Amino acid sequence: MTRLAHAAALALAVVLGVAPLAAAPPTQQEVEEALTCQCGCGLTVHACNHLQCPSGEPMKREIAERLARGEGKETILAAFRARYGEKVLSAPTFKGFNWLAWVTPFAAVLAAALALGLVLARRSRGPAQGEAPAPPAVDPALRARLARELEELEREP
Amino acid sequence: MPALGRLAVCLALLCATFSVGASVAGAGWRRRDLVAAGAHAAYAVFALVAVAVAILLRALLTHDFSLEYVAAYSSSTLPVQYTVAALWGGQKGSLLFWVFVLSLFTTLVQLQNRERNRELMPWVTATLMVIAVFFLALVTFVTDPFELLAAPAREGQDLNPLLQNYWMMIHPPSLYTGYVSASVPFAFAIAALATGRLDDQWIRTTRRWALFSWFFLSLGNLFGARWAYEVLGWGGYWAWDPVENAAFMPWLVSTAYLHSVMIQEKRDLLRVWNMVLVLLTFTLTIFGTFLTRSGVISSVHSFTQSGLGPFFIGFLVAVILVAGGLVAWRLPELRTRGTIESFLSREAAFLFNNLILVGIAFAVFWGTVFPVLSEWVRGVKITVGPPFFNRVNAPLGIVLLFLVGVGPVIAWRRATPRNLRRAFAGPVGAGLAAAVLLRLAGVPLGWAHATFALGVFVLGTVVQEFWRGVRARQAMLHEPASRALARLVGKNRRRYGGYVIHVGVVAIFVGVAASSAFRVEAQQTLAPGQEMQAGRFTLRFERTESSEDAHVARLAAVVSVREHGRQIATLAPEKRLYKKPQQPTTEVALRSRLTEDLYLVLGSYDPKSGLVTLLAYVNPLVSWIWIGGAILALGTAVAMWPSALERRERAWAPGRVGVPAK
Repeated sequence: MTRLAHAAALALAVVLGVAPLAAAPPTQQEVEEALTCQCGCGLTVHACNHLQCPSGEPMKREIAERLARGEGKETILAAFRARYGEKVLSAPTFKGFNWLAWVTPFAAVLAAALALGLVLARRSRGPAQGEAPAPPAVDPALRARLARELEELEREP
Repeated sequence: MPALGRLAVCLALLCATFSVGASVAGAGWRRRDLVAAGAHAAYAVFALVAVAVAILLRALLTHDFSLEYVAAYSSSTLPVQYTVAALWGGQKGSLLFWVFVLSLFTTLVQLQNRERNRELMPWVTATLMVIAVFFLALVTFVTDPFELLAAPAREGQDLNPLLQNYWMMIHPPSLYTGYVSASVPFAFAIAALATGRLDDQWIRTTRRWALFSWFFLSLGNLFGARWAYEVLGWGGYWAWDPVENAAFMPWLVSTAYLHSVMIQEKRDLLRVWNMVLVLLTFTLTIFGTFLTRSGVISSVHSFTQSGLGPFFIGFLVAVILVAGGLVAWRLPELRTRGTIESFLSREAAFLFNNLILVGIAFAVFWGTVFPVLSEWVRGVKITVGPPFFNRVNAPLGIVLLFLVGVGPVIAWRRATPRNLRRAFAGPVGAGLAAAVLLRLAGVPLGWAHATFALGVFVLGTVVQEFWRGVRARQAMLHEPASRALARLVGKNRRRYGGYVIHVGVVAIFVGVAASSAFRVEAQQTLAPGQEMQAGRFTLRFERTESSEDAHVARLAAVVSVREHGRQIATLAPEKRLYKKPQQPTTEVALRSRLTEDLYLVLGSYDPKSGLVTLLAYVNPLVSWIWIGGAILALGTAVAMWPSALERRERAWAPGRVGVPAK
């Protein structure tokens, strides 16, 4: 089950383009976008442009220094995480409980699509297939509406 | 005067409470006098709240700093238009404004239905007035906008400078209008459930209200995006902030409803689903208000933590329980016997469109509340920011765009291979050709490429529908093309208005995809006379200019812009220092064209060295987001405009119910 879950997570990561497929060095922007500014603006470090932001500016400088030293993205993110906690990452990790954050929306949509597909498939295999059934002499909805409108007509002064 | 304002609010609360009681009792005992009394009390609520709003507005405009609200959100130097906007700029005023809009809409609904929907109306009034009671109770007992200071302040603290912007004048009222007007279909849905009148009468009555609410939610979101783009100065327009998400979720569910309701009108299917969507839209508007005002999730532009959270969560739970209970009670009567016969049908396409729209709403909800969930379960604070929402929503958005093209042209009930060829050969061919041409033009494969190609596919379906309609009229009625087009649209306003809206949606998708995928950024510190490059633009920092008045001090960096050696513009991004809250803000400089925006921000200025740091963004096709909004507005106007048949019907029989849908 765990292996299956890991395989699914990996497949999802590949589809979403978040797995480190190529060994290209990370860019400054890439790392800045993976971190949240701690000044309270709610933006990523890359997006925060507060004047001399006490959080964003030093973080940007540190990222540049670490990249210049040849550190990888994961190492840099781990360093910031150790300092500020998990909240510094701008998106949940793919591990443990956080895995649910990524998988749940897709699982919900796929499950609903599957259920919908099954219902439609069952109905389209039913008697409706082939020749269309002869319509009833009077549509029941129309009949109900007629009755209702007549009733309304009678009720009105 | 403040005492009169408070008295008006208290009386409005009493009237609203009486209206609920009288309406419910009148419906239960079939007493028309009680029902009429309930309706009259609702009119009184509107009049009293209007008086309260007028008094608060007067206090703002006359700078009556004895009121805590006026002192906290305005000043004597605040320009008059922002003094008016201060009415909804703070927590207390915005709640009063909310209940004002609600009571106005309640009055309009009463006037529209004086002679019709007699069985539903008492319940509609009662539901709308229950909502009014909730908001009026908050304004009366929890956040009183007429609270007096112990000693009048000499000067106000001013409106937050970030809110002193044109788009802030119209963004909150648009959003509130969208939120509050969602109460009307909700109230009719509750009335239908309470009375058992579960046919599509309530849907026909609220069709325009639902579209009106959706339209203002659309505008509210777009105005908010434009405000963020112009004011926040980070080059973007949407940051997936919880409050943005709060406004986006009801829009998504409302969009789903506007599509699925067509299946009920045409085929009498999905009654339960449509009921759920209407109830969910309203619930999400309350959830959004809860998010904005509770402080439970930190957000860049929510109101300060106010202690209102428990009240909103209580109301939210009550709404869910009552609405859910009523649906469960009426479930056997809501079920329809009809079925969707095939995957290849318009009904199925609309259902999948609903699935994706509600799926995106769920993904946004999930991402918004996940930090709270994480803290509960693990005790660890985490952030769910733009990277999450972009990655999760991009694939769902692509599927949705595909369905935008499929839905309007696929046949009802069951499409045959011949139908499919006739409907899709042209648009699919256009989409594929666009995909190849874009690739040859160097657009890399990815979400943006797929969005452009699918956009062409959708436009193909729209053009084809217009073309075929016009040709058919020309062939049958021998009309010239212009008259055939005008009459085609005039006789099927809802359908062709919908197609125009789809064109607007494509423009928005294309603008978002291009500006997200191909944005160019540059940042450099320059001395006067030095240059930097941003994409194909050369930016030369010329000088700084400063100015000052009683309200604000401005420092602008004058930058000349060259393209291929030729000067094309002079831009002047500013830093402003507002004096009352002593808060610096950014005033971006924009050169906006259909192909791209050059977006310039003055990052910093060192007065000693004279150096400035400029941030430049080249945002491709971003204008198409706002143009898409304008097209969407045009399409909505077409769809909402009453048809000649409806106008005749109203003129001849004002007491009768509206015409049946096509």
